Amino acid sequence: MSAALAGRDLARAVRRSARPAQRVAFLLGLPALLFLFVAFVAPLGALLSAAVENPEVRQVLPQTAAALAQWDGASTPDEPVFAALAADLKRANEDKTAALAGKRLNYEMPGMRSKMLSAARMAGGASAGPFREMFIAKDPAWGALETWQVIARTAKPYTLYYLLTALDLQQAPDGSISRVDAENAIFLSLLARTLWIAAMVTIGTVVLGFPCAYIITITPPAVGRIMLLLVLLPLWTSLLVRTTAWVVLLQTDGVINDILLWTGLTAHRLQLIFSRFGTVTAMVHIQLPFTILPIYSVMRGISPSQIRAARSLGAPALSAFWRVYAPQTLPGVVAGGLITFILSLGYYITPALVGGPADQMISNFISTYINRDLNWGLASALGVVLLAVTLAIYGAFLRIAGPDRMRFG
Amino acid sequence: MALNAPLLRAKGADDLVVFDGVQKSYDGHTLVVRDLNLAVKRGEFLTLLGPSGSGKTTTLMMLGGFERPTAGHILLDGKPVEALPPEKRDIGFVFQNYALFPHMSVAENVAFPLRYRGVRGAEARQRVAKALDMVRLGGFGGRRPTQLSGGQQQRVALARALVFQPKLVLMDEPLGALDKQLRERMQIEIKHLQQTLGITIVFVTHDQSEALTMSDRVAVFHDGILQQLASPRELYDEPANAFVAGFVGENNFVPCTAMRIGPHAHALLESGLSLVGTMPVALPNAAQAMLAIRPERIGLVASGAEGAVACNIAEAFFLGDHTRVDATVPAFGGMNVTIKLPPSTPVPPPGASAGLVLPEQHCRIIAP
Amino acid sequence: MLWLPSYATGPERLGRLAVLVFVALVLIFLIAPFFVVVPLSVSKEAFFTLPVKEYSWRWYQDFFGNERWIASVINSVIAAVATTILATMLGTAAALGLARPEFPYRRAVMSLMLSPMIVPIVIVAVGSYLFFGGLGLINTRPGLVLSHTALALPFVVVTVAATLSTYDTNLTRAGLSLGAPPVAVFFRVTLPAIAPGVISGAIFAFAVSFDEVVVALFLTSAERRTLPVQMFSGIRDQINPTIMAAATILLGLSIVLFIVATWLGRRGQKA
Ligand SMILES: Nc1ncnc2c1ncn2[C@@H]1O[C@H](COP(=O)(O)OP(=O)(O)OP(=O)(O)O)[C@@H](O)[C@H]1O
Ligand SMILES: [Mg+2]
Repeated sequence: MSAALAGRDLARAVRRSARPAQRVAFLLGLPALLFLFVAFVAPLGALLSAAVENPEVRQVLPQTAAALAQWDGASTPDEPVFAALAADLKRANEDKTAALAGKRLNYEMPGMRSKMLSAARMAGGASAGPFREMFIAKDPAWGALETWQVIARTAKPYTLYYLLTALDLQQAPDGSISRVDAENAIFLSLLARTLWIAAMVTIGTVVLGFPCAYIITITPPAVGRIMLLLVLLPLWTSLLVRTTAWVVLLQTDGVINDILLWTGLTAHRLQLIFSRFGTVTAMVHIQLPFTILPIYSVMRGISPSQIRAARSLGAPALSAFWRVYAPQTLPGVVAGGLITFILSLGYYITPALVGGPADQMISNFISTYINRDLNWGLASALGVVLLAVTLAIYGAFLRIAGPDRMRFG
Repeated sequence: MALNAPLLRAKGADDLVVFDGVQKSYDGHTLVVRDLNLAVKRGEFLTLLGPSGSGKTTTLMMLGGFERPTAGHILLDGKPVEALPPEKRDIGFVFQNYALFPHMSVAENVAFPLRYRGVRGAEARQRVAKALDMVRLGGFGGRRPTQLSGGQQQRVALARALVFQPKLVLMDEPLGALDKQLRERMQIEIKHLQQTLGITIVFVTHDQSEALTMSDRVAVFHDGILQQLASPRELYDEPANAFVAGFVGENNFVPCTAMRIGPHAHALLESGLSLVGTMPVALPNAAQAMLAIRPERIGLVASGAEGAVACNIAEAFFLGDHTRVDATVPAFGGMNVTIKLPPSTPVPPPGASAGLVLPEQHCRIIAP
Repeated sequence: MLWLPSYATGPERLGRLAVLVFVALVLIFLIAPFFVVVPLSVSKEAFFTLPVKEYSWRWYQDFFGNERWIASVINSVIAAVATTILATMLGTAAALGLARPEFPYRRAVMSLMLSPMIVPIVIVAVGSYLFFGGLGLINTRPGLVLSHTALALPFVVVTVAATLSTYDTNLTRAGLSLGAPPVAVFFRVTLPAIAPGVISGAIFAFAVSFDEVVVALFLTSAERRTLPVQMFSGIRDQINPTIMAAATILLGLSIVLFIVATWLGRRGQKA
């Protein structure tokens, strides 16, 4: 006979005997996990690293970068650094890569692009030093400490420049960080705009969705089922198709303006497309099912006798609803609202097609920085900011509702 | 603990299953089964009986291979089964909800185990037909499980668990979902099948009358501990402790101190009264104990009769096949005692005094 | 008729009526776009005016006669089918594992598995572009399928997990006790029982891939364009009624998928 296990021994024995079952369960999930790491987590990692990567100057000015590694940063460097720069620029002039480094330097110090290009042309023709005087004679900026501080910083393998920019911050040549001037500060207000649009969409869907969910719960099952189908069908319909429909509806000579004119609500056609109103309307339409379904599933679990009990205790109809029923629906409202808020933060297609310039959200800016400016660093940094905000709210959602609340249909 | 297999095998060559120091915990805090030592003999009908949550299903699941013991060993045919997955154990299992495969016909359900034993074609069909005939469901092979009544589904599950002639069949409250009449008929049918086929069955129930009707031996569980393993009669007449005495049949309990004086066992009551009784399990002298007397073993006589214990009638109910009397006994500290009398016995009116006859061979002095 | 209890008072009835009208309007709002897209696709005119005056199939003829549109449909179907197969296999296995309470760090893993649903699609697209670029997967079908599968996986996991929560584990135990090896039990017992959920998940995966625009926009060049990308660039450049024909075709497909999934869901509940 063995003594009954207890305490630490028992916990350990249970863990040991549970291990094979754990292994089987985990092995079933492993392929999907590995797949997600390759197809999803690694790309996000690539985005994170693209936000801090800093290859341009190192690539174009390798010798300068190496020479600057020993520089004390206190005064303009000596001849060897200038010689290295001259050699690098000579090569860059031949390879036509000077513009690349120039563009990167220009981000942090306006005017550097043209200085780099003309210095490269000069270095292409020069054969012997002393280079220090040659450069400073060409442009006194080469003698300035600040120029070299910026070159040294941009020659490092990683940079905070893009992330700082995405938060409307800047780093002075001496390394101190400060806010950018008001006229250049666009990204925090872009973030605020994105959050604001998402909030309006969330409020809109809750206001429209709550009564819907309630009526679906209390109607006879046959009617409720049809109403539920009407809610689910748009969920299944391509987002692009729905956005297209809104483009048509909202056009200046579109159906909505027709109706407004016909009913006499307005005297002339309104600018609905390419407006904030149009964007939010289309987004509310697309997000509505996501908000309704969690509310509905919570409401379905509330017994109708709750209201009856409240009425029998003397509460008038409205107060029975608001003081007894509504508080119990809160988990559904929070879950549905948070899902819609999270998903709204990342909208791209709808603002791009229905919104005007002032309605573009972070995702649209990311796309623009890539397609128009080829500025992958800044695009990635904006992506990191958006990702951080999204994940923070997703974390809150998981805390409040748990991953098993995510359901549809 | 070290496994001493040769010793165990020598201990019982006709033991089909041996639980050796088996313990089980799910959460790492509480033991759901603690130190279970139990042997199932070849060809016997053994029932695990106990209240809800006492660890019966867990014990069965470990034997079936669906849960691992946290400590200890289970031997099947003398060999440890830890490394044997459920599909290699050759144990039939009947579940409480039957677990019939809904997408297969009755015949396909019954043929399922044959397929994995290399039995196919005509022979399989023949054996399926035989198994269905055995449970009186010949001709139902083409139906879906959902097209059968509860009792019929139960019998399909039985046929499916028996068709491959397993050496052992486990049944977890297989009759729990049936109504009383059907239940009693199935009890007899299952018992009958077991005897004609000569198989070993481990049966789980929390219904004591079911356990007494069907079993060769009954293992009573409480709080994960095996309380007593005995034949139904022994369980009823010689319960090992107060839990068994109370769980199997009805009993009156009076706290007492156990005393062995010469050849006789005595129960000393608080009131000073001493009653002679029997002690199924020897208790140390002066141990805290319970005096247990079954209601139908108590006689009711006129007040003041020789050797009778004085009591006052509290209430009496006529229940058809017997009369049930509640009486207050001053010598038992004012406790109420329940008495079952034959229906024809005259009963004094409430408030009247009477005497209780407590026969020595029916006064059990047992552990509390 | 107002679905009010019989003890409701006059003002209550009025209030309920107002709520019902409001809800009816919201439901109309929900399905309004369909009444725009479908009629315009069969209108003869090249402008988007309603009501339609003259009907014609010309935009459908345009659609089916245009190599670009047809090629984009083929590209979309190939990507969606491959995505469906991959996501269904991976997601079903994962859901089976996650349905077991002993899965280590179950909550965290579940949260990770679901995260492709909530990470902004542009971020996924940019990240995929950067990461797949290094692997030579840009402008290839495998690259697009890889990304779409990651996006579709959570839908399969959630749908199959929901079905598994109603699955009776005793069926698996019964299968094992009858001598069938675990793999046989999965294919002959578990899979038939959870088939409605698995098929629903597969349909979701198909729909996710077939509708996806942004990742496809980043990862594909002109010759690999999918139908949504083709539509998107059409709307951006010069919106014309052929797009309405394409939208109607997509819409029809969605409705078919929706009906099948709903029907399966109903069947799954009954079983
Ligand atoms: N899978 C499990 N995980 C955690 N705890 C469990 C599990 N299965 C059973 N338990 C716990 O173990 C204890 C014993 O359960 P078990 O099912 O063995 O009891 P039982 O005797 O079969 O009861 P019943 O008559 O109600 O079926 C109970 O407290 C139960 O809550
Ligand atoms: Mg049980």
